[in-house]
Amino acid sequence: MSNTEFNYDMLVIGSGPAGQKSAVQAAKAGKHVAIVELDSLFGGACVHRGTIPSKTLRENALRVKNMRQNAALADFDLGEDTEMVTLIDRLDEVLKSHDKYMREQMDRNNVERIHGRASFVDNVTIKITKVGGKVTTVRAKTIIIAVGSYPRTPDNIPIDHEHIFDSDSILSMLYLPSSLTVLGGGVIASEYASIFQALGVNVTMVDRYPTPLGFLDGDMTATFVEAFKQMGGTWIGNQNVEKVYWDGLSEVVTECADGTIIRSQKLLCAAGRLANVNALQLENAGLAINDKGLISVDENLRTAIANIYAAGDVIGPPSLASASMEQGRRASCNDLGIKIGKMSQLIPAGIYSIPELSSVGLTENQARQQHGDIIVGMAKFSEVARGLISGNTEGILKIVADAQGKKILGVMLAGEGSTEVVHIGQMAMLCDADVDIFIESTFNFPTLAEAYRIAALDILAKRPR
Amino acid sequence: MNIEEYSLSSQAKLLAEPLQQLINDGGIEVPMLSEVANKALLLAQNPDSDATEMAKLIQSDQSLAAHVMRIANSSAYTPMSNLVSLQQAIARLGMGVISEISLTAAIGSKMFNTPGYEEYVAGVWRHALATSLWAKEVARHCRSNVEVAFLAGLLHSIGRPAILQTIIELAKKQQIKLTEQDIRQLENNYCHRLSEKVVNSWKMPTLVIEAISAYRSDDQILTLSAQAAQVIVGSRFATFMLTDEIIDKKVLFVLPALTPLNLYQDEVENLLNKTDVITARLEGLSS
Repeated sequence: MSNTEFNYDMLVIGSGPAGQKSAVQAAKAGKHVAIVELDSLFGGACVHRGTIPSKTLRENALRVKNMRQNAALADFDLGEDTEMVTLIDRLDEVLKSHDKYMREQMDRNNVERIHGRASFVDNVTIKITKVGGKVTTVRAKTIIIAVGSYPRTPDNIPIDHEHIFDSDSILSMLYLPSSLTVLGGGVIASEYASIFQALGVNVTMVDRYPTPLGFLDGDMTATFVEAFKQMGGTWIGNQNVEKVYWDGLSEVVTECADGTIIRSQKLLCAAGRLANVNALQLENAGLAINDKGLISVDENLRTAIANIYAAGDVIGPPSLASASMEQGRRASCNDLGIKIGKMSQLIPAGIYSIPELSSVGLTENQARQQHGDIIVGMAKFSEVARGLISGNTEGILKIVADAQGKKILGVMLAGEGSTEVVHIGQMAMLCDADVDIFIESTFNFPTLAEAYRIAALDILAKRPR
Repeated sequence: MNIEEYSLSSQAKLLAEPLQQLINDGGIEVPMLSEVANKALLLAQNPDSDATEMAKLIQSDQSLAAHVMRIANSSAYTPMSNLVSLQQAIARLGMGVISEISLTAAIGSKMFNTPGYEEYVAGVWRHALATSLWAKEVARHCRSNVEVAFLAGLLHSIGRPAILQTIIELAKKQQIKLTEQDIRQLENNYCHRLSEKVVNSWKMPTLVIEAISAYRSDDQILTLSAQAAQVIVGSRFATFMLTDEIIDKKVLFVLPALTPLNLYQDEVENLLNKTDVITARLEGLSS
């Protein structure tokens, strides 16, 4: 097939983090690229329904929490009739700036933007249906699927977006509720539960697992649960939810398997996300979803069809915006034969709960399983001058090292600033530096980075002699 | 003649200037939101309130209590049941629905004094009510706030009867005879500003005020807020549902306001499948 038969060298479906980076990478390599987006707004769920809106709310929740903590400085009380729009006051501004930046980036790189719903006709042909019903068909040599994900709705949870919300609709509430039940113990559930609790909402988190955020180090989850409870939140683990319903009057009722009944004004169901593939008609391209409802790819992010790649949430974990961006870039590079290094497995996880949590590398348990003996160094933010000054005393930093106390196997933090400070540990690990680097290096004082030195000294003291 | 193409008569022009002046000076009297309706709205939004408080409040206004009971017992809300007490009705319908009923009862067409135009104002009100119900469904589909959509839909054209009342009063005072088209043109020119004024003076939630401010009858604007777009779509669906004319529903598939809401044809079709439910709710609220 000759190049002239194609409208584009590459067509990217979805404009989230993965889609954007793949489109820009290909365009920078001189390719003729278009990006099809279902939504009139550019950026995907990450920008408009997830990461950015929840973080904007979080910033105000932190302010509220700090003002309450510093009652001597500000006699503060959040009114019962506080509108959500007040609490995400800067969201519109943030989104508009972000949207403008992304559009300009696409325009600068001559990436064509198409607003419409894409579906496969065959492996090189895409039908694009516009909102008004107009249909166009385009052909591209390479297609990258970066359609992201949407919230999963369990059969027993009648989400109505009025009393019972999912993670895409929770911020549409008009007023801050007095109470909120959060179903789930994953990242989204933990973030929203702690944010709303910090805002003074009585939050009850319910999940079938014993602890929230089970993939994290035990000390991190323990710190999170402790901080959540201290703010007044309730964690109910090992609990299966059988039925949820709006009582028709004023409360959402959650019935648990053991007979426990939880009543709250609103409910958030955060039961994971599903790949957004329903409209794609993958079968027309010779593709199918796997048993997890995701698109399978090889190490080059290529699907079962040679000219089709996939990146981001649609291929499954880690489902982080950061990882999706890199997957998108790599998918393009792989298609174009641009030489790239091996994708680092050292992807930090950042959880924007209150307190913030972050980790890179192995947890203590994982390290024990893989390496046998290990040495763990710990630093409490309450021992760090910066932590004390800013009242950020509930945090911890943990370094997991090998049995000799030399090689860094993992770094994890809880506490404000964690998602930034973790990168020091990540860089040390990427450079294959020993734990000693934290002892021998001089950091600014007072900073949270000092915690690395304290944890490293803890390891030094435990080294075999 | 299309109202957009109509030029005001010389008599109407005489009235347009003082009318404009009155609006600019804030001299048009905005109807008060009844205390009961205001309190019902606040109670529904207050997490600490309960059905007993709501029942007490509604009982304080006999005609409202009767209205609520009539609607609660209508087939649209509680088929096959006979509710005998207000508390029972509130328990069955929920505080949110009761506050909606109270609000719609309190700000119905009778709120305005528009002699000779009662039927027209009743029609405007019925359309606003249908718009609110449709906007709510559209908002639910878009995972947007349903309360905002309902209120913005209900109040998006509240300025029409308000300005009509002023036009009639002013014309009478100045002994100016206006044609039907003059009145409609003047109403069209100023109703939107009045709607904004009413929702501001009633201290509606910020998003409702923003939605109504952004709302324009001209739906060519693609940069609308989601809430304003929901009201426009709700309004068009309402017109489609209420008109006696035979209109091809395909015209609803290409509304410009669908673009900011990302409502594709199949989704519009799914929404329109709820026409019977919306009609029943409208009949319930209007009874």
